Amino acid sequence: MESRQKPAAAVLPYLLIFPTLFFVSVFTIWPTLSSLVGSFFIQRLNMAKYRHPVFGGLGNYSNLLGDPTFYQVLQNTALYVLISVPVSIILGFLFALLINRKMRGIGLARLALFHPTVLPMVSVATVWLFLYTPDYGLFNQAIRFLGYRGAQNWTGNPDMALLAIIIVAVWKNAGYYMIFYLAGMQSLPREVYEAARLDGAGPVTTVMRITLPLLRRTTLFVTTIAFIGAFQTVDHVFVLTSGGPSNASNVLLYYLWQIRFENLDVGEASALTVILIAVLLFFTVTNFLMSEREERADV
Amino acid sequence: MLRVSSLAAALVLAVAGAGLFAGGQPEKAAVNGPVTIQVFYPVAVDAPIAQILNGYVTAFEKANPNITVKPVFSGGYNDVKTAIQTTIQGGGKPPALAVMLATDLYDLINAGYIEPLDSYLGKMPDKSGYLSDFYPTFMSNSEFDGKIWSIPFQRSLVVMYYNKDLFKSEGLGAPDSWQALAQDAQKLTVRNGSDVSRWGILWSSVGLPYWLFQPLAIGAGKNIVGNSDTEVYFNTPQNIDAINYYISLSEKYHATPAGAQDTWGASPGDLTSGRAAMIVHSTGSLAGIMKQAKFDVGVMGIPGKTPGTYASVPGGGNLYIMKDAPQDQKDAAFKFIQFLTQPDRVADFSIQTGYIAARKSAYDAQAMKDYLTKVPQAAETRDVLQYAGKEMSVQDLAKVRNIFQDYLLQAFNMKMSASEAMQKAQTEADAALKAFK
Amino acid sequence: MSRAGRLFSAAGIVIVAMVWAAPVLWAIAASLRPFEFPLGSGNVWFSHRFTLANYAKVWSLAPFGRYFVNTVFVVTLTLAVQIITSTMAAFAFAHFKFRGQRLLFQLILLQMMIPTAALLVPNFATIRVLGLYNTRLAIALPFFGSAFGTFLIRQAFLGIPRSLVDAGTMDGCSWWQLLSHIYLPPSLAAITAFGISSISFHWNDFLWPLIITSSDQSRTLTAGLVRFTQLGEIGAQWQILTAATLLVAGPLLLAFLIFQKNFIESFVHSGIK
Repeated sequence: MESRQKPAAAVLPYLLIFPTLFFVSVFTIWPTLSSLVGSFFIQRLNMAKYRHPVFGGLGNYSNLLGDPTFYQVLQNTALYVLISVPVSIILGFLFALLINRKMRGIGLARLALFHPTVLPMVSVATVWLFLYTPDYGLFNQAIRFLGYRGAQNWTGNPDMALLAIIIVAVWKNAGYYMIFYLAGMQSLPREVYEAARLDGAGPVTTVMRITLPLLRRTTLFVTTIAFIGAFQTVDHVFVLTSGGPSNASNVLLYYLWQIRFENLDVGEASALTVILIAVLLFFTVTNFLMSEREERADV
Repeated sequence: MLRVSSLAAALVLAVAGAGLFAGGQPEKAAVNGPVTIQVFYPVAVDAPIAQILNGYVTAFEKANPNITVKPVFSGGYNDVKTAIQTTIQGGGKPPALAVMLATDLYDLINAGYIEPLDSYLGKMPDKSGYLSDFYPTFMSNSEFDGKIWSIPFQRSLVVMYYNKDLFKSEGLGAPDSWQALAQDAQKLTVRNGSDVSRWGILWSSVGLPYWLFQPLAIGAGKNIVGNSDTEVYFNTPQNIDAINYYISLSEKYHATPAGAQDTWGASPGDLTSGRAAMIVHSTGSLAGIMKQAKFDVGVMGIPGKTPGTYASVPGGGNLYIMKDAPQDQKDAAFKFIQFLTQPDRVADFSIQTGYIAARKSAYDAQAMKDYLTKVPQAAETRDVLQYAGKEMSVQDLAKVRNIFQDYLLQAFNMKMSASEAMQKAQTEADAALKAFK
Repeated sequence: MSRAGRLFSAAGIVIVAMVWAAPVLWAIAASLRPFEFPLGSGNVWFSHRFTLANYAKVWSLAPFGRYFVNTVFVVTLTLAVQIITSTMAAFAFAHFKFRGQRLLFQLILLQMMIPTAALLVPNFATIRVLGLYNTRLAIALPFFGSAFGTFLIRQAFLGIPRSLVDAGTMDGCSWWQLLSHIYLPPSLAAITAFGISSISFHWNDFLWPLIITSSDQSRTLTAGLVRFTQLGEIGAQWQILTAATLLVAGPLLLAFLIFQKNFIESFVHSGIK
C-alpha cells in the first residue's frame, strides 16, 4: 500500500498511533519491564526484613522452580488450555452449523447458546457452584439421568476439580466462538455449495471439505482469542475451587494472585509474572505468525 | 496540521475532563479541631451489618460531636486487608481503624500496618478489668511480643448443629465422644439403594479445611498450633489420629460423603431440609438455620475423643488501629473502639448479627438475658466457648496454612496416608517458618 | 437436506439450547424462591410460592444502584476513548506505509497477550503516581489504548477496496475526509462488534476493578458481587446468591435480549472472516 500525502504530514501516522501506543506502553510494556526488574529483588510484605526490596539475584526464580506446586500449576494450566480451547472452538463450530439455518425460533436457540458470553464469569461460576452440588445439583442430576454413576464431588475431588472448571469455561465460551463461525459461514459463497450439492457431496463431506477449509482464517482468529482468554480468566477458580483441592485446579494466573495477595511475596510474584508473560508470548506469537502468513497469502 | 492538533487537543481534554468526574477522593485528615476517621469494614454475614454499624456511628458521633466516622464497606476480610495494602502502597493514607481477621496478626505486624494498643489501653481507668472481661479464647490471637495488638469484635465459633427432634425420635442423645458421634451418624444415615437421602453428618473439608478440622485435633489431645508464632504441630500422633477419625466417618461408618467434601455452602440448607442430621459449621449461620428449620435445632461443641470432652475453635475479626494514620485520628479511633465494645453494645451487636459477644459482661445485659431465654441456641453457642482452643495463626500464615491444607486434603482424598501427609506438611512448614525464627 | 435430517437437527437444536440455557433459567427460578424452602428439599426448580423478597434483601445489603452507575460510567468512558484511539491507530496502520510499522503494530498487540491482572503490581505503582487509587478513572485508564480494537478496525479498514481509496485521494480528500467518508462508513459493523466486545468485557471485568478500588463509592457491579460470592459464614443461601448474581448480570443480559439481532448482525458483517 502506498500513501500519497504531502511531506509535511509524514509524521501523521505516528501521531495517529501515539495515543494507543502511549497507553499500551504505560500499562503493558512498562509494567512488563518493571516486573522483570522486580523479579530479581526479594520483597515479602509479611516479613519485616524484606518489607522493602532487597536484591536477591535469581533467588525468586530458584524458589519457584524448586517448588513442586509450580510444576503442578504449569501442568494444570497446560491441560486447561489444551482441553478447553479446542473443545470450545469445536463446539462453537458445531453450534454454528446447527444454527445456520432459517427456522422458526432459531433466534431463541442462538440466544440460548450465546447468552453466557454476556454474563460475568463470577456470576456464572456462582450458579455452577450449585450445579455441581452432589446429589441434587442440576449438573449431577443431568448426568445421573444419562446413566452416570461415578463420583459427584466435582469441587472436592482432585481428579475432577480441573475438569469442573474446564466445563464451566467451555459452557461460557462456546457460544462466543459460535458467533464468529456464524458470521464466517453466512458470508461464504453460495456457488461452491451448489456445485458440491450437484456433485452429490453428503453433509459431512461438505463440512469437512468445503466449510472448514473456507473458514480457516476464522478458525485462526478464534484460536488466538481463545488461547489468550484461557490464560486470562480465573474468576471461576476463585469461586469454585480456590485452586484446590491440593492445587489440583490451580492455574498460572490464580497462582500468581495467591503468591502476591495471599503469601504477600512481591518478588516471587514478579518472577512468576515474567514466566507467565513468556508463556503467553510464546503461544500467541506463534499463532500470530501463522495468521500473518494466512493474511499475506490472501492479499 | 490544524486538524491533527485539534484532534489531539480534544483527546487530552477528554481524558482530563474524565479525571474531573472520576469521583472518589482520599480523605484528608484535619490537623486541629474536628477529626474524621475511616473504618474499613468487611461485610460477610447475612445481616444488614451496614445498617447496624451506621446506627452505632450515629450514636457515637452524637456523643462525640467533634469526631466524624466514615465506614467503608468492603467484601470480605481479605478485601479489607487488600484495601489497606493497596491504599498504603498506592500512596494514600490508611484508615485509622479496620476490622480484619484475628489470625492476620503476624502479617500485619510484619508489614508495619498496625500498632500496639498498649499506649491507648494505658490511658483507660480500668485497663486490666477491660481486658480480662474479654474471653481468653478471643484474646488469644491479639497478643504478641508482650503487647496487645487488637480488640475482639465480631467473633464466631465452630459448632455442631443437630436436628434435636430427629435424635429424639431415634432414641439418641447428643453424642459426647468420637465413638458416639460416629455411631450416631451411622444410625442416622438413610440410603435408598445407592443414593443417600440423609447423611448422618456433613463436615465440610473444602473451602476452609483447617478451620473445621482444628476441633478434631484439639479433641484428640493436641492442637496444631501452640503459643509460639513459629511452631506448628502437624506431625503428631494426635493429629494423625484426628485425620484418620475423619476419614473413618466415611470409610468405616459411611455416615458422610467420601473424600474432601465441598459442603460448606450446602450444609445449612441440607440440615434444614432434612438431608443431614448433623452439620459442622459456624455460629454465623445460626440465624439462617433458625429461620429455615422446622424442627428444634441443637447446638453443641464438637465431641472430643475422650467421652465427656468437647472442642471448638474461634474465628472472625478484631479491631485494629493503623500505624500510619495521623495521631488525632488514632486517638479518635480508640475512642470508637471503646464505644463499640461497651458491654451493652456488644450484647446488642451479638443479638442483631449472630456473632458471639466477646465480653463476659455482655451476658449480664438485660437485652441479652431476654434474648437467651427466647433463643436458647444462642446460650448453647456461648457454652461452647469454654472448649475452644487457639485458632491457627503463625508467621507466613497463608503459606503455612496452604501447606497444611494441601496435605490434609491429600489424606482425606486417600492420595497418601495421614502419617505421610503430615510428615511432609511438617517438613515444609518448618522450612517456611525457619526464616522467621 | 432430507426430512429426517431436518427433524434430527431440529431436535438437536432444541436439546442443546435447553441444556445451555438451564443454568440461568435455574438461577432465575431460585432467585424467586422463598427463603423458607431450602434447595435440598423437594424440587430444586420450584417451591410452592414465588417471591421478590430476595431481590429486596440483596438490594438492601449492598448499594447496587451506586454500583450500576459506576459500571455504566466506567464502561462508557472506556469505550468512548477506545474507539477514538483505536480508529486513529487502525487508520494509520491500514492507510499509510511508514517506518517501523510492523514493529509498532506488534508492540501494540502485546496488550492482547498480557492481561492487565497479570501486571497488577507495577500497575498499582502507576496508578499511585497519578494519584488515582480507588477512583473509577483508575478502573478504565489502562484500557484507553486497545490492541483488540486497533486490530479489529484495522482488519475492517484493510477490507475497503483500494479503488475507493484511490478515488477519494484523487478527488483531493484530506486524510480526515478519507477516514470519515471512505473508511468509516463500511466499517461501522466492525466498530459495533468491537464496541459490544468492549462493553461486555469491561462490564464483567472482576479482578482489576476489585483490586484497584476499595470502597463502595467507586466499585462496579462485579466487584460488589464479591460480597455475596464470598459465602463466608453463612454458607450458600442460593436464593440470595442467585438474586445478587442476576442483579449484576441482568442489565447486560436484558440489553442483549432486546438488541440481539443488531448485536449478531454486526458481528456477521464486521468483516471478521
